[in-house]
Amino acid sequence: MIEKRLSMRDGRRLVKPSAYGGLAIILFLLPLFLKSPYWFHILIITFVYIIATVSLRVITISGQFPLAHAAFMGIGAYASAVLSKELGWSPWLTIPLGAVVATGIGVLIGYPFARLRALYYAMVSLFFGVGIIQVLYVFQRWTGGYSGLMGIQPLLSATTYKLPYYYFFLGLTLVCLLALYRFEFCRIGISMKAIAQSHMVASSVGINEARYRVVALAVGCFFVGLAGAAYAHYNLTLSFTSFDMLATLWLFMYTLIGGIGSFAGPIVGTAVLFLIPEIFRELKEFLPYLSAAILFIVVFVMPQGLVGLPQLIRSWFAELRKRVAHAS
Amino acid sequence: MLLEISGLTKYFGGLAAVSQLDVYVNEGEIVGLIGPNGAGKTTVFNLITGVFPPTKGKVTFDGTDITGKKPHVIAELGIGRTFQLNPLFADFTVLENVSASFHLRPRSSWLGTYFNTATYRRNEAYILEQSLEILKLVGLDKFKDELAKNLPHGYQKMLGMARALATRPKLLLLDEPIAGMNPDEIDFTLTNIRKTQQQGVTFLIVEHNMRIMDLCDRVVVINFGKQVTEGLPKEVRKNKEVIQAYFGGEHAA
Amino acid sequence: MELTVTTLINMLVLSSMYILVALGFAFLFSIMGILNFAHGAIYMVGGYICYQFAVEYGLNQWLSLLLSVLIVASFGLFLERFCFRPLFGDLNRTIVVSIGIIVVLENTVNILVGTSTRSLPAFVPGILRAGALSLSAERLVTFLIGGALLAAIIWFIRRTKPGQQMQAISQNLEGAALQGISIHRISALACVMACGLAAVAGCLMGAFLNLTPFMGDYMLVKAIELVILGGIGSMGGIFFAGLIIGSLDATLPLFISGAASQAVALGIIVVILLFRPQGFFGRELII
Repeated sequence: MIEKRLSMRDGRRLVKPSAYGGLAIILFLLPLFLKSPYWFHILIITFVYIIATVSLRVITISGQFPLAHAAFMGIGAYASAVLSKELGWSPWLTIPLGAVVATGIGVLIGYPFARLRALYYAMVSLFFGVGIIQVLYVFQRWTGGYSGLMGIQPLLSATTYKLPYYYFFLGLTLVCLLALYRFEFCRIGISMKAIAQSHMVASSVGINEARYRVVALAVGCFFVGLAGAAYAHYNLTLSFTSFDMLATLWLFMYTLIGGIGSFAGPIVGTAVLFLIPEIFRELKEFLPYLSAAILFIVVFVMPQGLVGLPQLIRSWFAELRKRVAHAS
Repeated sequence: MLLEISGLTKYFGGLAAVSQLDVYVNEGEIVGLIGPNGAGKTTVFNLITGVFPPTKGKVTFDGTDITGKKPHVIAELGIGRTFQLNPLFADFTVLENVSASFHLRPRSSWLGTYFNTATYRRNEAYILEQSLEILKLVGLDKFKDELAKNLPHGYQKMLGMARALATRPKLLLLDEPIAGMNPDEIDFTLTNIRKTQQQGVTFLIVEHNMRIMDLCDRVVVINFGKQVTEGLPKEVRKNKEVIQAYFGGEHAA
Repeated sequence: MELTVTTLINMLVLSSMYILVALGFAFLFSIMGILNFAHGAIYMVGGYICYQFAVEYGLNQWLSLLLSVLIVASFGLFLERFCFRPLFGDLNRTIVVSIGIIVVLENTVNILVGTSTRSLPAFVPGILRAGALSLSAERLVTFLIGGALLAAIIWFIRRTKPGQQMQAISQNLEGAALQGISIHRISALACVMACGLAAVAGCLMGAFLNLTPFMGDYMLVKAIELVILGGIGSMGGIFFAGLIIGSLDATLPLFISGAASQAVALGIIVVILLFRPQGFFGRELII
């Protein structure tokens, strides 16, 4: 009865690599023009969430629904924060470790279910995501409970000086995006997309479904754990609400709004839904309505997501031209 | 014998979809597995390729016992297949459908694939070349950049076969390859099968359209999951039980 | 003894409330093909509207409940017509829309009421005593209302024409349409019912526990737990799962902390799913 499938698995790239390069250059040069520390902070958070949504995409192109993705971000964040706090290790060590912990747990949960239908993994990950928050709460002696974990070691110098952090996160994001981009477009990614489209055909040409699904999970969890861990040592406080089920739903949302058909989709969606509300900051408590409005507009007017906007505009103009020609 | 099935049985709940089936296929043969709808033919394929394990019985391929092995392992051992409802990689183009199916041979390592080594690039170039060859063989090369889901039905079926050929199988299982095709397409498909047979591929074909019998070296008829008869096409055509199975109680000329 | 009886009543209250909300969620999924993530928010809003009428405006509490149900149910009508019907069957976009709805609802409540915890006073104040037992009349009445509603739903689905049409649609959409069943009318009815039920649960639970803007998220997870554990497509499964989860939630906190009991309950569910991924009464997906 539910007919529409996610059609994110064609091999084409909607956004040319040169566009990414151009954007990267602009972002590198941005501090020459922009001086506000607040805006750097917003951009840093946006970068973190871009890594999160693109790593979500890597999992979804294999046909799975990681409904606990934000929870893994939290696992990476808390693991790194607690390790550095309790054992005094440097964040440069604990951040990758946090990512590894997130990957390990992700594979542990995913492995038994990767063999089954994607639907089952979706359900289990949903429960896991909710459950892990409770587990973190149980261990509140280390994780700080609902009041949050504070006093985390900063990664670089004091976080009031944003510039080094800006460049760190920009670099991190570029590296992660490069890595994830390669995954999607090399034969590994192609095989994952094949599994998502028809797992029967995929296995009949020799693709080991279970193994590829677990690899997708591992890669996705690694990068989102990395993002979370890095975030912890910048934000210096953590709270559960950033990593609950609603947070995962928002990650899906950024992806859907940006467009699920392309690698650039999550990037565009995250950027828009983070940056546009910031521009209208004066709306304060009415801001969520703005985000909701963006959601509704995109859903009802742009089924392809924001990435499809250029094409949509083009077709509107073509339609307009036809009408004008008709009228005269 | 390339493929040997002995005593194959599959129960779904209390119902026997396949019951004590013995079939063999020799190297280089085209064997037809025919029977009316619901006779259990697709179930036999699913059992051979490991989609689900049999309740009883054994499947041997090229001397190895493959009973109950997973589908991707079966594919690796050299058995390819098409599917009745012909699922494809719907969002891939025609060309991508075939090139994605070259997963097994040549095989690049994980690291080689990810880091775009020279070996990987060489393999991918070879795969591209071979994919275009196969598309030319089945006559789909002009559609290579078309999305698979946009192809008309008959062409989709041919794409299914092109995809199966990409695995370079020793044995190719075709599930209703000519169902839903017009006479021209049927001729084209039958010619392709014969051509491929000459290149050394063995075929086991499931069909309920009797035209496939023109092609077969040997035919096995099944109904209700059991073998009805077996033999040369012209013998089977005249067999009373076969006619009864297809046309019910009354006889046909 | 008293503890046991109280716990038993708690079990029944929680189970019936969970089932009420989960059923609404399941209706929307099986009839309209929609995962309405906003269902929890709707439940929450139901409770708050009742609070507004009863506490802020001083109306009779039962009247407030009725008003809340009416308002929420009409909101459900609006939702079906404008948000879900245009996107019928498109799973992705309805998820996006439902999250948008959550944002609007939760934020509105936030602005109007603030995040402080409120509580509805008991609908039926007082304690009942029977011999050595004493139990809260409130809880008993909640359970009775819940049970009565559930019985009414079962009767409705099985015995009335619209109910049977709902069953038909959930089993075979095209077949039902071909039979002349108006999909949109039945969908609207289902949505109205689901929202109404959620509102009742919201009001009753608002008195049983507290009202917070986040109670919706909590209830949404419960509803999904019930649907998955019970098995997708099985109403009886939801009942069964509801009893189990309600029991766990009522008994575990007696022994371990609240968060730990949530974690344990979820762990149990995951383990069950490991062995029986289709839930208790769900159909096994073969291929």
